[in-house]
Formats: sequence, C-alpha cells, structure tokens
Amino acid sequence: MVSRRGFLKSGGLALMGIGLMGGIPGFLAEAVAREQIIKPYGKRKVMVCIFQRGAMDGLMAVTPFTDTYLQQARPTLFMSAAKSSTPGNPLIDLDGHYGLHPSMKAFEPIFREKRLAIVHGIGSPNNTRSHFDAQDYMESGTPFDKGTNSGWLNRAVGLLGHDTLTPFSAVSLTSAMPRSFYGDNPALAISNLQDFGIQMRGNAVGTDLASRSFEELYGQSSAGLLQNTGRESFEAIKMLQKNDVRNYKPANNVVYPNSALGNALKQIAQLIKMDVGLEVAFTESNGWDTHFNQGTENGIFARNVADLSNSIMAFWNDLDAYQDEVTVMTMTEFGRTVHQNGTGGTDHGRASCNFILGNTVNGGLIHGQVQPMSTDNLEDGRDLPVTTDFRSVFSEVADKQLKVNNDRILFPDWKGEKIGVING
Amino acid sequence: MKNKFKVGFTLLIAGSFFILSSFFQRSAPVTSYKFPYKRAGLTERQAAEYLVGRFTYGATPGEVDSVMKMGLENWFSQQLNANLTDDSLNKRLAAYNDINLTNTEVCHIYPPGFVIRTLAIKDSAISKDSVDKAVDKKAFNAQIQAYMDKKGFKNDQDLYKQFIDQHIIRAIYSQNQLREVLTDFWFNHFNVSFFKGECAQFIPAYERDVIRPNALGKFDQLLVASTKSPAMLYYLDNFTSVGPPPPNTPKPASVQPKTDDANMLMTGGNKPQSTVKNNPADMSMMMSAASTQPAKPVKTITQPGKNLNGLNENYAREVMELHTLGVDGGYTQTDVTQAARVLTGWTVYPISDYAYGAAMKGLVAKVGEDNLAAKGYVHEGDFLFTPNRHDQGEKVVLGHTFLASKDPNVGYQEGITLLEMLANHPSTAKFISRQLAVRFVSDTPPQSLIDKMAKSFIDHDGDIRQVLITMVTSKEFWNKKNIDAKVKSPFELAVSSARALNADVKDPYPLFNWMAKMGQKIYYYQAPTGFPDRAAYWINTGALLDRMDFGLALASGQIGGINIKLSTFSKALANDPQAAVKDYSNALLPGDDPNEMTKELIPLLNDPAVLAKLANTGKQPIKHDPVATEKPVIGAPGDMALMSAFAESQSKVLTQAPVAQPLVNISTNNKMNANNMRSLIAGIIIGSPDFQKR
Repeated sequence: MVSRRGFLKSGGLALMGIGLMGGIPGFLAEAVAREQIIKPYGKRKVMVCIFQRGAMDGLMAVTPFTDTYLQQARPTLFMSAAKSSTPGNPLIDLDGHYGLHPSMKAFEPIFREKRLAIVHGIGSPNNTRSHFDAQDYMESGTPFDKGTNSGWLNRAVGLLGHDTLTPFSAVSLTSAMPRSFYGDNPALAISNLQDFGIQMRGNAVGTDLASRSFEELYGQSSAGLLQNTGRESFEAIKMLQKNDVRNYKPANNVVYPNSALGNALKQIAQLIKMDVGLEVAFTESNGWDTHFNQGTENGIFARNVADLSNSIMAFWNDLDAYQDEVTVMTMTEFGRTVHQNGTGGTDHGRASCNFILGNTVNGGLIHGQVQPMSTDNLEDGRDLPVTTDFRSVFSEVADKQLKVNNDRILFPDWKGEKIGVING
Repeated sequence: MKNKFKVGFTLLIAGSFFILSSFFQRSAPVTSYKFPYKRAGLTERQAAEYLVGRFTYGATPGEVDSVMKMGLENWFSQQLNANLTDDSLNKRLAAYNDINLTNTEVCHIYPPGFVIRTLAIKDSAISKDSVDKAVDKKAFNAQIQAYMDKKGFKNDQDLYKQFIDQHIIRAIYSQNQLREVLTDFWFNHFNVSFFKGECAQFIPAYERDVIRPNALGKFDQLLVASTKSPAMLYYLDNFTSVGPPPPNTPKPASVQPKTDDANMLMTGGNKPQSTVKNNPADMSMMMSAASTQPAKPVKTITQPGKNLNGLNENYAREVMELHTLGVDGGYTQTDVTQAARVLTGWTVYPISDYAYGAAMKGLVAKVGEDNLAAKGYVHEGDFLFTPNRHDQGEKVVLGHTFLASKDPNVGYQEGITLLEMLANHPSTAKFISRQLAVRFVSDTPPQSLIDKMAKSFIDHDGDIRQVLITMVTSKEFWNKKNIDAKVKSPFELAVSSARALNADVKDPYPLFNWMAKMGQKIYYYQAPTGFPDRAAYWINTGALLDRMDFGLALASGQIGGINIKLSTFSKALANDPQAAVKDYSNALLPGDDPNEMTKELIPLLNDPAVLAKLANTGKQPIKHDPVATEKPVIGAPGDMALMSAFAESQSKVLTQAPVAQPLVNISTNNKMNANNMRSLIAGIIIGSPDFQKR
C-alpha cells in the first residue's frame, strides 16, 4: 500500500476529529478546522484524461483537407475549408493543410494561442479493431498483454513520488472504476461528489447520528485496514464539506454544457479548486462509434465534437487561476476507416487524433505524421496507419506534468521516443 | 475411429466410476473426517460460526444452531455434495423465464442492438437514413420496437438483467450455498465480462453450463469446458486464432485482420472497395504491389508478427498465467506461442452471423453437417474444432512435443492433451490451492496449508472437493487469527445482509446497483484476472462510505424491491436503544459480544448533552439515496424538535410504518418512531467494521 501517513498527519484534521468527539468545544474545533482544512495541500499539478469511447473519427475532427484521396474516399462526408464550397460552415483552417471541424470552433482561439496541441496518426501498435480489446490495451498501457491487472493511471499514482496521497489524489468522475484506474493505489470513482458522505435519505438526524456512530465504531475498530480507511473517510468528508459542493459557482460566469462530460469536468474543476490533493483525474465521453449517418457540419459527430470542445473550454475558463497547474489530454481507442461505408458512417479503423491542452503544451501545432491517403499508404489498404504510439504521448504528458518518468513501470515493454508535445 | 472408441470407452468407465462414487458419498452420511477446531481453542459454536461464515454467503437466522445440531462435518459434507432440494429458490427463479435459454436461442431472441438495426434496414422496416439522426428519435425507436415485436426480438439488456437477478437470488436463497460460493469463485477465476460485447450474450450459459455444474467437480473438466465455451473463446479471442495454411492446400476459411465482423455486418456488405484481406497471400501481393510503385513508405508502428499472421496468443497466455500454472508457474513466452499454435482451430460453432458466424456457417455448409466428424472436425454443442485452421507443424510446450502431423484427427486431441497437462501440472496444483486458500482462509494463507492442499490436488487428480476437505481439516484453517482475516466483497456484504435479516427480495436489481456503487459491478470486471480477492482492494474511502450508506439504506427500507421485517429481531421501544443494539447485534453478528457495540454506541445515541450540542452545530445537508431515483427530502422541518424528543427519550410506540416509506415522517409527529430507531441501529451495525468481515 502507498503510505497514508501524509494524509493522517495533516494535523488540523485530526484535531477536528477529536473536537467532535468531545473534549474540545465544537466551536473551537470548527475555528481550528477552518484555518487548516480549507486548503490543506496547496496547489498540485493535475493531469486530466478524457477517454472518448467508441473510437473518434480523427479524420473528421481534424481533416487533412488538401488530401484528394480522402476527398474521393468520402464522397458525402468530406468537408472543405473553402468558404464557398460548403454550404454553411466550412472547416476551420488551422495551417493550410489541416482543418478543425466547425463544431469545435471553441478550440480555435486556444489553438492560435499555442496552448492546444493535436497529435494526428496516434494509436496502438496492436491492430485490433475491437472496441473492448483496444480500450483495454490503451487503459492497461500494455497493448499486447491482456493479463495486466493495473491501469496506467493507477501506476502513475504510484509513481507520484511523494507520500501525501489523499482520498482525492486520483478521482474518476464515472459510475464505475475505469480500467485505467484498476490497481493497488488508492483511487476513487464517483459520479456525483454530493454522494460522498454518510447519508440517510430525508433524515438529517439519522444522518448525523449514523455518521457519528460510524466514526466512533471505525475509530475503535481493531482491524488496521478498516480503522485507517474509516478515519480517512471521515476526514475526507470534512474536507469536502468545507467547500460547498452543492452551490458551486464556476469562475468567469462560465456555463458548462448540460452534458455528462460537462458535468464531470465541472466537478473535476471543483476538486482542483478545493485543493484536496487531486493529481490524476479521469472521465469519459461516449457515442463516438459512428457507423451510421455521422453527418458533416450537423449530425451526431458534430454534436459530439461540440460537446467535447465546449465542455473542455468551459472547464479551462473555469479553472482561471489554476490553469498553470492543469493539463488536459483526450484519448480514443482507434480511428475509423478512411472510406465512408454504405450507411453514411465510418467503420473501425486504426489511427485517430488527440488533443492536449495546457499552458506548457507545445501548442498551435499538429504533431505526428499523416501521409497522403492513397491505398498503398493505408494500413491493410483501408485505414490511416498509426505513426505515433499512444504511449509516447501519454508518457510525455505524465512526465512533464506529474514528474512521473519511470516508463518501465508506467509502460512496460515500451521503448519509444517522445515527440515533444510539451515544452521544456 | 480407434481413437474415438478409446476416448468413449474411457469416458464410460470414468462416468460409471463417478456415479458409483457419488452413490457411496450420498449413502454415507457420517463423514470420515473431523475438524480440529478444539485443538485451536474454539468452542463448537465459534467453529460453526466460522465455518458458516466462510462457506456460505452469511448465516441466516438460526442457521448456526442447525449446523451445530447436524454436526459440523455432516453439514460440510452436505454442502460438498450440493444436492439439497431448493424448492423455495426454484419458486423465486421461476420469475426469470429466459435464464435457461441455450446460446442459440439467446442469439435468435436477443440479438445485439446493432444487429437488430441492420436487419431492420435489410427488411426495410426502417430507412438507413434514419439511424442516429437527431430528428424524431421517438418515431425511430417506435419503428425499431415494432420491428422487434414482429420478429419476436427482445432487448438484450433485459436478458442481462434477468441473469444478474437470478444470480443474486441464488446467492441469497440457495440451500446449496457452497456451490454458489464456488460458482462465484470459479467464474472470477475464469473471468469473462459483459464489457466485451462479443462474448456478452454467451455469459448466462457459461455460468449455468460450464461453471456451476463443475464448481465442485474435477479441475480438468472445468478447464476444458471453459476453453470450449463461446464466452471464453470470444473473450480471449481464441475463436479467431488460425495456424498457417499447410503447403499445397487451399486457403483456410478466413484469415483476416481482426476487424470485428460486426463491422462488416453494419456496412451491409458495402465494404470499402479497398479492403484487402490480410491473409498471407494477399499480404505478399500487397507488398509486391507496393514495391513496384515508388510510393513513399508508410512509417507505421503496427508491430508485425504479433497478430498479423492469424495466430492469437491471448488465450494461450492467460490459460497459463491466470487459469492454471500461475505467473510464476515456470513457462516461457515460447511456451505461450507454442500453446497458442496447439489451440489453433478451436472456435465457436456457427450460432448466428455474429463475429465469425457467417464464415463458419459457410464452412460447415461446404463440408456438410454429416461429414464433419469424418473430416476431423469436432462439433460439441457450441464448440467447433476446425482442422483446416489448425497448425499441423511440430510444437513443444513445457517440454512436451506434439509431433507434426497431417492427420486432421490429431489436431483436436493435441488441445485436450495440452489442457490435461496444464490441469495436472504441479504449478497448477499450487496455484489453484493458493487461490482457494485466499478465498476461504486469509489474504495471506500460510505456505504449509497451500502445500497440503496442493498435494491433495495431485493425489486426487484435481478433485476440488478433496482439496477443500484437506483445507478444512487442517490445523491452519482453524487458526484463531484467521477468524477475522477476510473482508466481505460488496457482493458478500449485500447478500449476507439480506440473509441475516431474512429479507424478502422481490427485485434484486437495486442490490446490484449498490454492489456496483460499493466497487463490485458483478460480471463487468474488464480484465481476465477477475476481481482481486483481498481486503485492500475493496476497502478504500469512497467504497467504505458507500458500505455504511448501504447499511442505512437497506435497514431503513429505502432499497426498492426488498422487504425486511426488523421487528422480528427486536421489539425494543424508541427510548431503549440499548436493547435494540443488543438485539440487532445478536442477529447480524451472532459471534460477537453485543456489549462491545453497546458500550461504543449508547453514549452517542442516548446522551442528551451530545444531542443538544449536535442541535447547535449540526447543519449538515440532508443527502439522498444516490442509487434510488427519488428526489431527496431537503430541509425537512422539525429536525430540532425531533432531536430533543429523542434526547429526552420521550416516546411512544407508533404503529409500524410500511417499510418503503421515508425514514422519518417529521411533519406529522415529533416523536422518534421506534421503527426508525431500530432501522438506524440495524443500519449502523450493517455498516460497522465488524459486519464487513466474513
């Protein structure tokens, strides 16, 4: 187990515990607590990962619009950057070659400010086109080994290199623990922060009595693990209660999209601002498996990228003074076929693209390699080949953002190069 | 033919021996073994509590007494035989009418959603332009539903729900508790996951036909059955694993990159024209075509030779690492590759067009159903061995040589030989013994115990019952320090609470939601390792708070579909929390001294000063049951009045409220309702550290 000492030693919290149990008057304990609990850990560097499940069509998100092969392969899906050729909104021309989907216009300013980087041609060396297998490999970080029990983000937590892990060091805003978080290091999966605590529905008295009873029982328990975790749990509740989760007001009058992703990122922003020790955050975005009618400037794909970019930018603007501490990275299990299929969509392919946002990001650039998409340049004659191993980007972000640089543990079996997506 | 005869004859002998031996076991109620608990300093009652705690999902009221009456050894023997009639369970199971469907029936009645959409387009029931368009989603869904009704299709999620429901019902109500506990153990050992769409449909039959009937049988039979099951073949990809084509023979039926055929299905046959099948012949064509054109080489990082040549090592690796030898079991990467070659051609008989179904259907049609056996194919239920996909070259696994052979009848037998070899390997004996000891004794079982069990495993050819007898008759098993050594999984916590309180579970699904919330979404563990079986995995801050909340929600009747009569266990009045603590402690923690709990809780529950202080400072927001869908009751008036009423212990017994009502109906009375006090205390005990232990 990773040491819990750092957490247990945070003195104000312990005093708070004693205070409630009697001995020290409640108001005094409250006062002590107010001084010491509100920001017990100070700012920490945070890596926020967003998994786009279902395999995003990277070629529609960030289109190499000068590629005539691609244009031919996608008679009704190809979008142009030319203002006149597309009715409505054309692609946002990023550099004369790549165009951003118009529904991701929220990303344009931050890209121009060089704080958003895109890696194209990213993916796994394992050529599986099964969602399950590809997600499993990407999240375990071992693309040829199914038996790896831990996820790469859990290993990252173990490599943080300090002993002040808190119950909120690694938080996944999902209802179940994601594969990325499987492992021995403490991690919390929660879909709603308001659920964190003792609750007896509709009964404040019962909640109070139960809470105090549990605290007493776990405090007196002889079992080491149950006792320690019990204490930590009650300290954690107090940390969250000091900050009013329910009445959270985002900074800069930011309005998050009313979507699962927007809601999850809003809660991650809350945790970051509470200084409760968050360092690795995870959440996901669903619905990217666009076999049918993925649409162009409107339709399911456009809605998905609008939600993705608007949620991320709301999060970013809400972070306000915390922007220097945070890097956001998206990931998806694979890309989609270069050719559109017979039902107005695309099928399972190989490479896709991803987005990395942060003040130290080597932004305003499309990293990676994408060749002209003639058949002989495609993998198995059909798919955008993977030219950048996802691990080279993940490991670089983990290294530069969290100082997690033991790649032999983070990504065993990987011996690749980093590609410079982050400065310094 | 000769081989077949020999196998059949051996099976016949083995079968009759099995029948005979089980006959003897049934007719001999007195066991030949004794549990050495007295030497370990345990009373008979303590021993019975420990025994029941380890081999059931928790004692039901009075169960420990009846075990003592029957004799501990006799009870255990009865559990090993697992043939108690389960009338009341079966009555409850009757509500789940589709849990006995065969895989074929499941495929026909519960096709996955995308298959339904594809068929609906083919049959012109929906227009392909309407799929995934935002406009008029309602009309689209209605069209799909009408199509499903017409074709007799059902929503596959309903099947999974029925399956999960029946599993929880069995765990709560089966008399054959040990068989259910071991069904869980082996399922987790040979884990498959609803997460993987390709195998999800086959999981109900997997547990029913592969795991449960073999849970108390021979390990090798369990292993072979799991290897052949569609759930495992799809989960760990062996269904797709193909050996190189023998020289001068036609190409095997399908060697293509692992694009899921779902993909093909969805495109309705309109595959991109450029799709090149990735068989070796086509690959070489591609290469030569590429080499004649001066196109820029593509710098792809896809690693050749891993998955490209048709061989898939996933199953071969995990069968050694996770199912048999264990990671330190003494095999190498070469053994993995060689074992994968031995198992080429082990695939799924065409059940539907899903995955390789269509290709295999074509193959079976070509060979002819009646000619399969003659041509070396083996068709057993949903399993198919296809000799034309089998690697006929020489293979060496763990020092055993499988000679190169062109005889199509040899291939299948190679796989059986390999699996028997793995099942009976000394490393397997140790690894399985260790896993069982971790499940039943402690997270860190003593090596001396594992060695005894491993010897028993070898001596009795992997007879699981004999290994368990060796374990439970050992002095290590009864060592006092093991009594508190295991923490319940969320599944065990939920099920044991229901059992201890004699709950009437009409709808188990809310319990599933709670298990998921507490960290165990059963059947959804993604990795082939299964859920880790150790306390440190289950107990973390979020999960522990959820366990406490679970206790409160269950005892206060806020989990829908479950009826609990708390008054059966305590008639304590509202002004007597002490009696309630004692009663519920006796009911839920029969081995514990209730005075301990009373000492800790009563000052809190009964001290007016504490309550008064609480009244001044306690302004915690009221939270709601996150798993229930109802809206929380926020800021209920009268909290203060209620607290002081409770503090002063002024109470009247009120008529019993229906169980599913909110805990405190504050607006209509100022008095602490006796029922509410009891549910608070029962909930606290369920969430207490002692109840988290098995």
